[in-house]
Amino acid sequence: MSLATYGWLVLLLPLAGSLVIAFTSQVLPSRLHGWIGTGAIALSFVAAVGALFALEELGEEERQVVSVAWDYARTVGVDAQLSILLDPLSIFMCLVVSGVSALIHLYATSYMASDHGYTRFFAYLNFFVFSMLLLVLAGNFVILIVGWAFVGAASYLLISFWYRRTTATRAGIKAFVINVVGDVGLVLGTFFIFKHTNSLDLLTAFGRVEEAFPTRNDGDLVAGCLLLLVGAFAKSAQVPLHTWLPDAMEGPTPVSALIHAATMVTAGVYLVARMHPFFEQAPAAADVGAILGATTLVVAATIALVVTDLKRVIAYSTMSQIGYMIMAVCSAAYAAGLFHLMTHAFFKALLFMAAGSVIAAMAGEQNLDRMGGFRRAMPFTFACMAIGGLALSGFPLFSGFFSKDEIIAYVIAREGWFVILGVLGFAGSLLTAIYTWRMIFRAFFGEPVEQARELEGGHLHHAAEHTNPATGEVEDTDVGFPGPDHHIAEREWSMKAAMGALAVLATVGGVLQIPKVTEVLHHFLEPTFAESRYYEELEPSGGLTVVGLVLGALLAIAGIALAYRLWVTDSERSAVAGLRARLAALHAFLVHKWYFDELIDVVVVRPFAAFGRFARDVFERAIVNGLFVGGPSGAVRAGSAAVRAAQSGFLRYYAALLLLGVCALGLYFLISAS
Amino acid sequence: MSVEWYLVVSALVFSIGASGILVKRNPLVILLCLELMLNAGTLALVAFARAHGNQEGQIFALIVMVVAACEVAVGLGLIVAIYRRRLPIDVDELRELQG
Repeated sequence: MSLATYGWLVLLLPLAGSLVIAFTSQVLPSRLHGWIGTGAIALSFVAAVGALFALEELGEEERQVVSVAWDYARTVGVDAQLSILLDPLSIFMCLVVSGVSALIHLYATSYMASDHGYTRFFAYLNFFVFSMLLLVLAGNFVILIVGWAFVGAASYLLISFWYRRTTATRAGIKAFVINVVGDVGLVLGTFFIFKHTNSLDLLTAFGRVEEAFPTRNDGDLVAGCLLLLVGAFAKSAQVPLHTWLPDAMEGPTPVSALIHAATMVTAGVYLVARMHPFFEQAPAAADVGAILGATTLVVAATIALVVTDLKRVIAYSTMSQIGYMIMAVCSAAYAAGLFHLMTHAFFKALLFMAAGSVIAAMAGEQNLDRMGGFRRAMPFTFACMAIGGLALSGFPLFSGFFSKDEIIAYVIAREGWFVILGVLGFAGSLLTAIYTWRMIFRAFFGEPVEQARELEGGHLHHAAEHTNPATGEVEDTDVGFPGPDHHIAEREWSMKAAMGALAVLATVGGVLQIPKVTEVLHHFLEPTFAESRYYEELEPSGGLTVVGLVLGALLAIAGIALAYRLWVTDSERSAVAGLRARLAALHAFLVHKWYFDELIDVVVVRPFAAFGRFARDVFERAIVNGLFVGGPSGAVRAGSAAVRAAQSGFLRYYAALLLLGVCALGLYFLISAS
Repeated sequence: MSVEWYLVVSALVFSIGASGILVKRNPLVILLCLELMLNAGTLALVAFARAHGNQEGQIFALIVMVVAACEVAVGLGLIVAIYRRRLPIDVDELRELQG
């Protein structure tokens, strides 16, 4: 089969899976739907591997294939087509997305087994994978925007999957609204670029960058790139459009693993990498992106230090790691950013899966304050969590070690003020190690809690009544709420298989790109970035690489050691309490998440709400209702009242009027004739 | 005899009919008054035809008679219908078309 055929198969299999699940929901037994969904994504992954091999057969110069299914509009100046672009970048993204998704589907077949919305869940999940693949395969701005919006919609559906939980539906709406802000940014940015390049086709537009924007930092191009960044930041949860991601943890854990860790939130990274010809011609916009990415990585890491919700710790960690990737791709370290995207997908999905297993053992409870001592009760989950944690904190030889330090080395190699960003990156890796291991030590070490002891005795804890972990509201287990039973990795082979596979990948994923030794990914992605002015030139020196790796390793070990001292050795946790008391103001600042929610509330939400109220009370009532609607209708009403008064119903009155009228006419003609 | 006399008679009859319609409340009498008005018109047509010495006016007179016959048939039918439904035979009472 040709490369294009494989590409279309990658895209169509998840769509087919979603449709089959949706239309047979009443016909087939619901257990089967989980396997249909998993199978569709697994086949999609197989097709992506096929596409990889087909691509490898082509020469270096030919590795950018566009396949067009049909034209939407082909008129003066508009070339909107349903086209997919198959190049190393899109196939790399397809492999990551479909591969990790297949494992998460496998995990979800057990994890969601007792949920009453099982079939719906898999239909949504497959639809999400389809949207994400559409986004990464798009060969045309129009298709990119469609995929972008589909992904946002799928994310909304899955965050508010438990639709009877008010906290979940609110979180879904918040995520959707912020994502729509990003959609608008993407569309407007596309217009800015389309205005000058006159092509919606990605490759054609890239080819015309030089002639359309002859000077660097052309005003329109910078504006367009900044708007693209708005889109990327909303999707990738970067400051200041990040507040939806922690709330999105209201969704089921497989959703957090799939959408809010491994795939959807990396779309912004993909977008910047894909649009690199524009960003390189508009370095001002790229610099803004790099600075905001570095800001996010520090802000999110500091918040993660104090969050007590298990899933939210990982969510803030995701924000922080995506900050690294955004910083990398905006600093033209494309291969490094995408490498971190891949390793992050492995270890972050793994961490979420392990967290899901712990939450299941706690019967839905997510608060770290109530957890502890699960190490002996859940050895497999603990091992997975530890591997994920080591990879995340950049412990030597784990995958995150290579990818994160490569980003920092490349950013520093840009020299000038980029060095500051690199230093922030190092600060971030220390914080990463601390918050990751704070979470792991608090959940798995220390005195076993009641649930852990119960599990050691061979019995999975069941709550007396089901409650919302965020608010404590009492819930039932019918559709729209989580199901009655929980499933832990120790007892489900499919969860174990998925987590095991990811644990292996998170451990050894780094070998793809060991600095100065193997550069598989760098060479593989080269055709996509052939025109880039930095891709080949930008290369950290050997000394810098070594210093970076050593410093990264030291910071990771120091962070883990510090966390061990604070939360394990010091079993009373008096040092932590002392720190908290001494830095009460800082602690409150971090607990309130740097007051971003409050800031957005004051700056955006309240003015808009006030404006809305003003419009409703004054504009809508007085002007629209009173003048535009009331004016003509009042005139018609008055006129018809006058005419109606003439219709008295007296026959003789009509006759008299008729006679008078005829007489008047006769008189008129008589007078005018004489 | 000159045509004026015919026209004076016609105008008199027409006025009698019109005033009858305005003052009478019984639909039957109103129909009769209508017939008077029509016949006044017919008389004027015939008089003009004679004055001009051609036939058109006479033909019109015949047509008016036919129309009058139709109108009477419909009007009488209405009156019978009103009577059958035991409604008052009085045009001032029948004012359901009031707006």
